[in-house]
Amino acid sequence: MIKKSRQVRDYKELTRALPTQTYLDPEKVFIHLQNGRCKTYDLYVEEGDHVYFGEVIGVRHGGFFEQPIHATISGTVGKIGKKLHRTGRKVKCVEIVNDYKDTYHPTITDRPDHVIDALTQDEMVEILKQNALVGLGGSGFPSYIKLATKETINHVVVNAVECEPYLSSDYRLILDRPEEVIMGLKYVMQALECNHGIIAIKSEKNPLYEVLTQVIERRYSHLNIEVIKLGNYYPQGWEIEVFKSALDIDIPYGELPMKYGVLGFNVSTTAGIYNAIKHNLPVVERYFTLTGDAINYPQNYRVRVGTSVQDLIRQSDGYKKEMNEVLVVMGGPMMGVSTVSDDVIVSKTTTSVIVLENIGYKEEPCVRCGSCVYSCPAHLEPVQIMTAVKRNDKDQMKSLHADRCIECGLCAYVCTSKIHVTDYVRKAKKLIR
Amino acid sequence: MTNTMPKIVRKTSPYLRRPNANATRMMRDVTIALLPVSIFAIYSFGLSALWILLVSIGSMLLTEYVFYQIQDKLQGESFKFKNKNFTLYNFSAFTSGLIYGLTLPDQTPLWIVALSGVLGILLAKLIFGGMGQNIFNPAAVARVLVVVNFATLATYQTNIDGVAGATALSFTNQNLFSIEVLQHYTLTNLFTGIGIPGSLGETSALLLLLGGLYLALRTSFEVRIPLMYIGTVFVLAFAVAIQQGLGIWYPLYHIFSGGLMFGAIYMATDPVTSPITKPARVYYGFALGFITFIIRLFGALPEGVIFSILIMNMFVTSFDYHKVTHSQFSTKRNLIFASVVVLAIVVTLVGASYVG
Repeated sequence: MIKKSRQVRDYKELTRALPTQTYLDPEKVFIHLQNGRCKTYDLYVEEGDHVYFGEVIGVRHGGFFEQPIHATISGTVGKIGKKLHRTGRKVKCVEIVNDYKDTYHPTITDRPDHVIDALTQDEMVEILKQNALVGLGGSGFPSYIKLATKETINHVVVNAVECEPYLSSDYRLILDRPEEVIMGLKYVMQALECNHGIIAIKSEKNPLYEVLTQVIERRYSHLNIEVIKLGNYYPQGWEIEVFKSALDIDIPYGELPMKYGVLGFNVSTTAGIYNAIKHNLPVVERYFTLTGDAINYPQNYRVRVGTSVQDLIRQSDGYKKEMNEVLVVMGGPMMGVSTVSDDVIVSKTTTSVIVLENIGYKEEPCVRCGSCVYSCPAHLEPVQIMTAVKRNDKDQMKSLHADRCIECGLCAYVCTSKIHVTDYVRKAKKLIR
Repeated sequence: MTNTMPKIVRKTSPYLRRPNANATRMMRDVTIALLPVSIFAIYSFGLSALWILLVSIGSMLLTEYVFYQIQDKLQGESFKFKNKNFTLYNFSAFTSGLIYGLTLPDQTPLWIVALSGVLGILLAKLIFGGMGQNIFNPAAVARVLVVVNFATLATYQTNIDGVAGATALSFTNQNLFSIEVLQHYTLTNLFTGIGIPGSLGETSALLLLLGGLYLALRTSFEVRIPLMYIGTVFVLAFAVAIQQGLGIWYPLYHIFSGGLMFGAIYMATDPVTSPITKPARVYYGFALGFITFIIRLFGALPEGVIFSILIMNMFVTSFDYHKVTHSQFSTKRNLIFASVVVLAIVVTLVGASYVG
């Protein structure tokens, strides 16, 4: 089949209509002390100490920023162990044993609206920094650095496209808590003195459109917030693609969107911004999708950050009996990372875990049909990069711009011969880096 | 609760694949699209057509099978009926054989069919490394071997008028711009293929278009190549028609007769031997049309399709050269392409004024 194909079967029907299951009382949580961006840390507490909900228990040191670490339950500090992280390495985690009291740390107090109205950009940035807010869609990029931009921002875009198949945590978040999203957007607009906000959704997600427009009409009609329906294709949720479809702003490769007057936030980040500014609450819980065809009861969870995925799999009644080999994927099935074990932790940036049956696809020789070239959202030629990798021709990889690949996985998805093209392009990216 | 733990394996993303997509389906679709044409060929040319098709397909399948068996033997593997390179299931050799058979004249001796078929797939496909690696279209190479080596032996049936002609096109070679050609075959005949001499599968434009439509609906081929190919021939012929004061019959005659439809829809679109990007495929189709028309108008051969396909096959790697290839159209490149098209028309007209 030779065609531009960006339709990816989305499998969201498994989870999106089901109510969100609340699982806020885990026996213990594990808090990552290191992550992909932060290698070193300082821990302020010791084993046996009592911590409050929302208390700062340490700090992570990143390359150009520092991130406070918060306790997400109240209880007793346990051992420091090592757990598998999304990056594939084992990282240090501190254990906190729940006392089921949820005693709030005194810093967690609501800000009255008149105080919030008077906040300036710098003050808001400082609040977000205190609450360690990062891109909750999976990037983990500190949101306060984004918000501290000095460029003039004309449009703030909330990315609620969620184009990865299977995932529906953002969907449930908007359905359950539309106001948090809208208020978060309002605060961002206030900080950036921008008077145009956009919430971008996929056009097939009509329930979201209805919820959002109703809430905006009833309560926030004075704000210039639009809900825009974008295309039903993959990867519509790529930020560059969202700006292009929603605002017709083309951002060239390698440039920052801020330069073009737009700024994008993931929808869970926006809700996080609301909680940070309104309640002075760090990211202690998140919406989390546990789904896949190899699990008995796929559904969405509202969980504490630090919950063990094994617990959640047990909550979902475990793996299906007939499965011999499964893949445990953190993130979406197109871009997520497959782990070697289900002993992983829901971190701030983990949107989902997908358990899939392992299907061995049989690769056939490439027939040069060109589907990957037609479909590539970054306008690359994956098949040519693949031949360059096979020949180890670095000049060719460079002039084919392999470094611009966003690893969306569409080339392998559409491949007529079921070749893992994405892997070759990934290899090329590594070789020419 | 946690029952028997399944084994957790590690892979790299993406973990999903497009359902119903495989190379076999693409090749099989071409075979299905060619069925009406094959049946029509057997209907109009009789059993000899059936024999030619069987021999052409058989020779290619057998060659591929034997080749891989020998290869395995040389690598010291024990004999298996279905060896690891067994590619016959994926219709690629079958399709090549069918296309090759359909391009042959109906009176071709069977030993020539077999010999050229064997050499065609061996030289054009197998020694390059098999499916997906070949530079030249195996069917076209086999056909050219027949033309070049056995031109006098592979003849066409004499038609009812007693005119010992080749294809309907061969009249244009003798008498370039005369409407007399239409006295032999009307445009309707050319379109439906009834009573037209020629190669087995090339006579009925109607059935060929029907197959093309099927392939387009199944997205099993790149529709831009045949559109550009046939479109270019039409435009160039139309320009010549205006210059020479001929009617609309002239361009129509060109696109309905000979192997143009067949070559454009089934041979030029072979994905393995065509460029990879959308713009390059458009340029490729145009170049094919231009070369075909030039050969038809100024060459000694009545048919330019097979040769133009083979000539352009050679340039596919230049289209895909990493410094020039682009997956997107751009205004600048469109302008360059447009000026090349204009230039091509001018060249054709200047040439035609000398010939005419």
